[in-house]
Amino acid sequence: MSGEIGRLTTVAWLSFRGGLQGLRAIGLAAFAVFPAVIVAAIAASHPAASTLANSALALFALLTLPIVAMVILLVLAVAQFRTEIDSETLIYLSDRSVARPTLVVGKYLGAVGSSLVFVLPAALLPLAVSDLGGGTAYAANVAGAVATAAVLATLAYAGIFLFLGLATRSALLVGLLFGFLWEELLPLLPGDVPQFTVIFYLRSFLSGTLSSGPLSGYSGAMAPAPAVVTLVLVAVAFVVFASLVFRYLETAPEKETA
Amino acid sequence: MTGVVDAEAVTKRYGEVLGLNGFSATFSEGITGLVGPNGAGKSTLFRLLAGQLRADAGRLTLLGEPAWGQGEFRRRVGYCPESPALFDWMTGNDFVTTLLRVDGFSRTEATERCARAMAEVDLTADGNRRLRVYSKGMRQRVKIAQCIAHDPELILLDEPLNGVDPVGRAAMSALMRQMSTSGRHLVVSSHVLYEVERLTDQIVMIANGQAIAQGDLHRIRDLIDSRPHVIDLESSDPRALGRALSAWDHVVSIEFPEPWHLRVLTRSPDSFYATLPELVLAQGLNVQAVRSADDNLDAVFRYLSEERR
Repeated sequence: MSGEIGRLTTVAWLSFRGGLQGLRAIGLAAFAVFPAVIVAAIAASHPAASTLANSALALFALLTLPIVAMVILLVLAVAQFRTEIDSETLIYLSDRSVARPTLVVGKYLGAVGSSLVFVLPAALLPLAVSDLGGGTAYAANVAGAVATAAVLATLAYAGIFLFLGLATRSALLVGLLFGFLWEELLPLLPGDVPQFTVIFYLRSFLSGTLSSGPLSGYSGAMAPAPAVVTLVLVAVAFVVFASLVFRYLETAPEKETA
Repeated sequence: MTGVVDAEAVTKRYGEVLGLNGFSATFSEGITGLVGPNGAGKSTLFRLLAGQLRADAGRLTLLGEPAWGQGEFRRRVGYCPESPALFDWMTGNDFVTTLLRVDGFSRTEATERCARAMAEVDLTADGNRRLRVYSKGMRQRVKIAQCIAHDPELILLDEPLNGVDPVGRAAMSALMRQMSTSGRHLVVSSHVLYEVERLTDQIVMIANGQAIAQGDLHRIRDLIDSRPHVIDLESSDPRALGRALSAWDHVVSIEFPEPWHLRVLTRSPDSFYATLPELVLAQGLNVQAVRSADDNLDAVFRYLSEERR
């Protein structure tokens, strides 16, 4: 058991470090500070203190979660398998004696870790900029709720995108469709349809945790606790699906070179 | 079949393209050379052996275990892929140590094994440099280091001499021979036939996804004995030598590619070599050199490939 944990942590650490390398990491870092830059721009126009604070919070729901975090997670989670299969580096891991589910869980943890390096600043920096720019001080639990929502989003989306990276060769495209069509359009539909999206549970969590401000009062929301449980279950389910797919997946690119 | 690697009618398709087409062969202990041109199916076979691909049909085992699937037996196998891709952001030592850790070795043991493997491939001095700055030859060597560091019984080397300079090739060949003498079995692929010829007599020849011949080099040569063999001779008087040789029944043709050079096509090389000295002595002919153009694997492969068409 301790041997398997050692393997798991090695794979997770390798994947974590891999996610923070090269031009991709620089690009994602630049993308992650984008919401903070927007808040800084708003602050520079000297709005009312409450407007600035609410803008920073609204930006989290309108830009950071559905676009910035989504793209960061898509890129880093898909890279764990699909990019490595295509670049032929996965071979070095998948021809080892390590169990394939261990590889999947390790890579998931690595993807979550490296994504949080970008997603957490993307979520929290705008609040800090608002504070520094003269926005109304947030209630004590706001930063915690935003950070928790960012972590939950990371857990759930990383699982989904990791699975997509194994299930389809067009993972980036399918991921974009999921992120920008499924997650954006379904919440607009009536009835229980929004419950088939991750964003519904994230908004429910925020709405139930924050009593005031633009993130509270999400119509049709469920209580925070079941929302959190659902998000964690989504993450676990997709990691399990990914393990099942990876068990039977050929990890060499489909070509014959020699 | 009880070889190190046993393949029985193994077929692998890439969509409409056949990577392997009923490949059957048994790889014996020691070094086996897998020889074939680009696109013959060598890398497909290696990927199947490394558990990266799954055969569509047939049976493929290595060390008695099915090739498809993970498990502890993978520790008994080392795989050096043909692709130059590496985790470029890592150092050589980090790369090898990490893969040993993934294989379940403790940190201390992984560090020790990494040091030994890097020394074996002569990369100790470069172990702390990033892989992205490694030359092509160094990349090949670090791939071999990760492949031997866990001390596997069977080592799969896909085109290991690709991109390695001549000095490096000699060192790498020596390393492979040394690995073999220390009890490890090697399967080495190459499309450059003389490289394998210099490494081992035990050959499996592959073309169009099929094993077209296997055995030691001389046995393969026996397979083609029914076909004319090319023998080159050098003489100060090739015309006189040619006239004398043309009287032999088994001589099919004689050419004069250069003024001092005679090329003979014979159906019976054994008779040719047996009778040539008598002829030379009896007629006082001048022969300065005799070479079989068929002694290298290129010629053997050419013959065998043509025979199957």
